[in-house]
Amino acid sequence: MSDVMAGGRIVRPYTMTGGRSGVGLVPIALEALVTVTPAGMRMRGRFRWESAEILAHSRKETAIVELAAILDVPVGVVRVLAADLRDQGAVAITEPPGATDTADSDYAELLHKVLDGIKAL
Amino acid sequence: MGSKPSDRTGLTPVKIVVAGGFGVGKTTFVGAISEIEPLRSEAIITDASLGVDEIVADGTKTETTVAMDFGRISLKHHLVLYLFGTPGQDRFHFMWDELARGAIGAVVLVDTRRIEACFAAVDFFEKRGTPFVVAINTFHGRRVHDPELVREALRIAPEVPIVHCDARVRVDVQKVLVAVVEHSLERVMSEAAAS
Repeated sequence: MSDVMAGGRIVRPYTMTGGRSGVGLVPIALEALVTVTPAGMRMRGRFRWESAEILAHSRKETAIVELAAILDVPVGVVRVLAADLRDQGAVAITEPPGATDTADSDYAELLHKVLDGIKAL
Repeated sequence: MGSKPSDRTGLTPVKIVVAGGFGVGKTTFVGAISEIEPLRSEAIITDASLGVDEIVADGTKTETTVAMDFGRISLKHHLVLYLFGTPGQDRFHFMWDELARGAIGAVVLVDTRRIEACFAAVDFFEKRGTPFVVAINTFHGRRVHDPELVREALRIAPEVPIVHCDARVRVDVQKVLVAVVEHSLERVMSEAAAS
């Protein structure tokens, strides 16, 4: 491929995503957790570059923002690629429970658990 | 999406934002309690993110890179808490909305020598309705300030907690995070009672 140079690949970030930046959609949260699915494990040979790396680094649940730091690419790139992988069934993405779309009682229960968790550190 | 995170057997991510002026100790704060060395990730902000509808096709759109530092803490109950330091420079305030979305709450870290550096953060969380606590960083060995003087200087509501912490000290940071979640919980309870 013409974009492969001796020391690695030299491309602008959004070339990796075909120019898409996910603008206009509610973006996947920075802290959303990406996990490879059994199907993703089976078809991982199909993916290249950053998509393959996302699969390799999400055997344990790993946040979008962590993947961006590990792969050293902008967060927007990981978002687009992770969304593609999800659409193909290769990863599952767990979004954080937002205060806005959660019933007060559920949210209060979550906060109690977080509080308990922090106090137990 | 679709299924509630709690329906899964896996982890549920939650987030607390750490804001304050440039150089106030946000990354130190995150690093004091994070189970990983604070990582840095970058977001590329284009004109489109700044509210301009059209992306110019001739490649003239401007791009800015914003760096944010974050840490991770595994909690019991299958929770994983991410702490995000906001980019310090004023020109990146639009990025804060993204960081605050879905956050349990926020910490506004204050250096009393430069108290005005946190005005923007206080304004932002007040307007957005994000529960926040003010943490006075005693990192520099300054005498402990009267919290009520800080409250007056910042003009914040009486219910906003003000705590002292040394951002280098894990138990101090833990105490601040407890204050954030308790404050957030109070907010949820009072809203539930009012409706």
